[in-house]
Amino acid sequence: MISMKSMATRIFWALLLIASVPSAVAGVAAVPLPTPPKSFSARFIETRTLPGFNQPLVSRGQVAFSRVRGVLWEVTAPYHYVFKMGPSGVEEQLPDGSVRRLDAEHAPWLAVVRHIFISALTGDTSDLEHYFDVRITALKVGRRIELSPKPGPMAKAIKHISVIEAGTPQFLRIDEASGGRIDIHFLDTRITAEAP
Amino acid sequence: MSVRATALIKPLIWIVVLTLLCGIAAMRLDVRAPVDTNLLDLLPATRQSPLLDAATERTQTAFLRDLSLVVSAADDAQAHQGAEAAKIALTAAGLPLSDPAQSAQALLGLYRQHHYGFLTAADRRQLHKDPIGTFTNDVAGEFANPAGMAGVFGTDPGGYLGRYLMDLPQPYPNFTPDGAFMSAQRDGQSYFLLRATLPEAALGEPGATHAARAVAAVRSAVKAQCPNCKLLATGAALFSAAAQNEARQEVFWLTMASMLFIVLLLLLVFRSLRPLILGLLSVGAGVLAGAAAVVICFRSVHILTLVCGTTLLGIAIDYAFLYFAEHWFGEGPAERTLNSVLPGLTMGLITGVIAFAFLLLAGFPALTQIAIFSVVGLILSYATVLLVFPLLLRRRPALQFANLLQCPQRLLVLACKPSRWRQIVPLTVLLLAIPGWLQLHTSDDVRDLQNFPKPLLNADQDVHRLLGQIAPLGFFLIAGGNIQQALQREQTLFEVTAAEFPDAMALGLSRFLPSEARQQMDLKIWATIYRDPAALKRAFAHIGLPPEYVNTLETDWQNDPHAPLTPHPLLAAEPELGQFVVRADGQLALIATLMSPLTTARGLENAAAQVPGVSFVAPLQRLTGIFRQIRWRATWLVVAGYVLISLLLIWRYGRRNTLRMLYPPLLSLAVTLGVLGWLQVAVNIFVIVGLILVLGVGRDYTVFLREGAGSRSTALGVTLAALTTLCSFGLLAFSAIPALHAFGLATLIGILSSYLSAPLSIAPDTRETA
Repeated sequence: MISMKSMATRIFWALLLIASVPSAVAGVAAVPLPTPPKSFSARFIETRTLPGFNQPLVSRGQVAFSRVRGVLWEVTAPYHYVFKMGPSGVEEQLPDGSVRRLDAEHAPWLAVVRHIFISALTGDTSDLEHYFDVRITALKVGRRIELSPKPGPMAKAIKHISVIEAGTPQFLRIDEASGGRIDIHFLDTRITAEAP
Repeated sequence: MSVRATALIKPLIWIVVLTLLCGIAAMRLDVRAPVDTNLLDLLPATRQSPLLDAATERTQTAFLRDLSLVVSAADDAQAHQGAEAAKIALTAAGLPLSDPAQSAQALLGLYRQHHYGFLTAADRRQLHKDPIGTFTNDVAGEFANPAGMAGVFGTDPGGYLGRYLMDLPQPYPNFTPDGAFMSAQRDGQSYFLLRATLPEAALGEPGATHAARAVAAVRSAVKAQCPNCKLLATGAALFSAAAQNEARQEVFWLTMASMLFIVLLLLLVFRSLRPLILGLLSVGAGVLAGAAAVVICFRSVHILTLVCGTTLLGIAIDYAFLYFAEHWFGEGPAERTLNSVLPGLTMGLITGVIAFAFLLLAGFPALTQIAIFSVVGLILSYATVLLVFPLLLRRRPALQFANLLQCPQRLLVLACKPSRWRQIVPLTVLLLAIPGWLQLHTSDDVRDLQNFPKPLLNADQDVHRLLGQIAPLGFFLIAGGNIQQALQREQTLFEVTAAEFPDAMALGLSRFLPSEARQQMDLKIWATIYRDPAALKRAFAHIGLPPEYVNTLETDWQNDPHAPLTPHPLLAAEPELGQFVVRADGQLALIATLMSPLTTARGLENAAAQVPGVSFVAPLQRLTGIFRQIRWRATWLVVAGYVLISLLLIWRYGRRNTLRMLYPPLLSLAVTLGVLGWLQVAVNIFVIVGLILVLGVGRDYTVFLREGAGSRSTALGVTLAALTTLCSFGLLAFSAIPALHAFGLATLIGILSSYLSAPLSIAPDTRETA
């Protein structure tokens, strides 16, 4: 019986690792900061360029991060969509208003994703170095952080990540191994008071 | 023919019989498995199903070969270094960790190729209700999801395959993949899990030793690399190694102690080693012949037969001691020794054989084996005394009958004097035993027969707690005419269990490979979605997605072969999934299980009963059931055997004397059960075997005393037999292994009370005239 479990574990987790790479990367995608704020909010413009498609998909919205409460990612155009990641799990509100939940209790791996997410947003490069080769270049204002995945499942999904930050995140670009690309511009970034 | 030649014929017959038995057994022996350790072979053949046997063996083997190690430390980097050191040490010990990434990639490739056929139940339900609306909504959601990737759009636009993969069983939910390991952070500690599979059976000496050495090597390696790291290890092989080690140590000390005592006793009484050598010859011949007879009938000896059958030693040695006592200290001429003891020996043998022969009727291979072993063994031990001893023990040694040696007879005389104490003492003991009987309880759980070191048990609990593992109660066996039918039945079963046990995790092949029928159902949904591309484009445009995306999606659908994934490529990509499939005698079945703390065996049985071809198997419960049945049958057959023995005794000694002769063994049985009750010792199969021994020995004592008319040599023979049996089996009462402890305790109390109550078999007036 235990062996069956182990077998399933091997398969499941290996698959999950591959499948959840985007989650991890999305977390990593946020900017490592030299003096990490406990919380901030910003507007964003995201452009997704799909391999084989001429027309990219552009979406707009706002992001709010709190070390305690987690991440709120709200798309306001072209349709409404909300993504919340907190200690209790992930909740998605789809354009038709339906809600999809994933409890941390039933998916403890979410804690790891969240951990990476928070590490990335708080500038904890030591955690990122576990998955990436990190190169930092100073800019006139702020710095550029280049992340190249270490060999392994992550490298099969991500080619390169580039982040520009200046105290708060400014720009993020993810080049995927598939040829897809995600560009996110952060605007009006504000450091906010941490909720009690 | 000379007298000397006639005398030589008898031992020659003995040698020929023993040689023939051993020779035939050697030819019949199954050299691949001379000792059968599979407890399921105790089941009657007619009740076994080939598929069930194959499934049970599969799950058993998997369980027995599994080894789990957890390296932990407060510092993540240190713990990782410790895990790396553990990995290297395990590999060096011949237990390399497998790399799951390779097969997982192959599997993922297959899933991607056939992704249209893999929907979760929730997605299937939603898409079936509103195909275009749901699909558009899901695509929009995936685009907006910050965890979604752009490149995935072409292959999994609505995130359906991703959700299917996330829905796969999570047997170690607390751990996540981390390079070559799985890791977890908890309570300020970092944990790294390493799992290995033993190449050999854990219950055997090689497997257990291999595992124990590997873990010891890992422990040293981890300690050297990371002194602050902690290592937890568990696995059936480690328990087996601990049990073997404990048994070896105990057997050594107990054997040494009992041997030393017996040698000293024999030297003290006979001033010669000849009784010891001849006693061993008699018992050894019995055990050898018993084992040979079992091999001739069954081609191998079951381990339980060896364990229980060797209790024969306790009865067989009585024959030898009766002969020695008469030969050394008998009041008649030395050449008449055999004649003096023959009636007692013969009656002892006949009653013993009858008692054991009844076990032949049990219908359980184990009891049949024990019966054959004991009957043949007793006959050969008897034959040794009859055919060999007279040749080797001719002249009576000139030995003075010391005062000390007269004690047994004096005690016998004292105990046989007419006195009301002969009624008061047994009655009082009996009354004291009654509350003990009321406290008696039975246990047939094999787990109660073992005793493992506390650190090992704690490590096991800690590992399972860390892994979030719930030990399943058993497994489902899903039979089918073919694998597709079995997969469909398993899906139906999981729907039933999901409704009844919503929090349980179902694990079975259908979780990784839905039946072709189900995949076809999912493909039909996609056909509905892409049937009208214009409508889909309108829906995309309406929600704000570029309508031209539909063109690419539709092309992908059109190019897809729309073929369900079949078992062959899946099992080729991940051969371990084949563990779910069992085949036997041209039949096929799937093994599945459900993990939840809230499930009960009854609940799972009920769930199984709702789906044709499905049964729930609880191996531990099944094993407990086997032991219970063996215990019951053995008990009743021994009772039946006793009734027959009583008739035989009545024929030889008359009704009144027979009642008197049966009184002491039955009294000692009652006392033994009473004491076991008082001591809260559960009655299990080993206690029953101990009680059979007690009854056999007690009956021998009374027969010997009756036939020997309470002579000094008989009294001495019975005393020596009791002391040696107490020593060889009674000492087991001090064993830390519960099974041996229970057997030893029953024997210790039983033999002691049999010996002390044996004089009650002789009428007071008879003793006075003797």
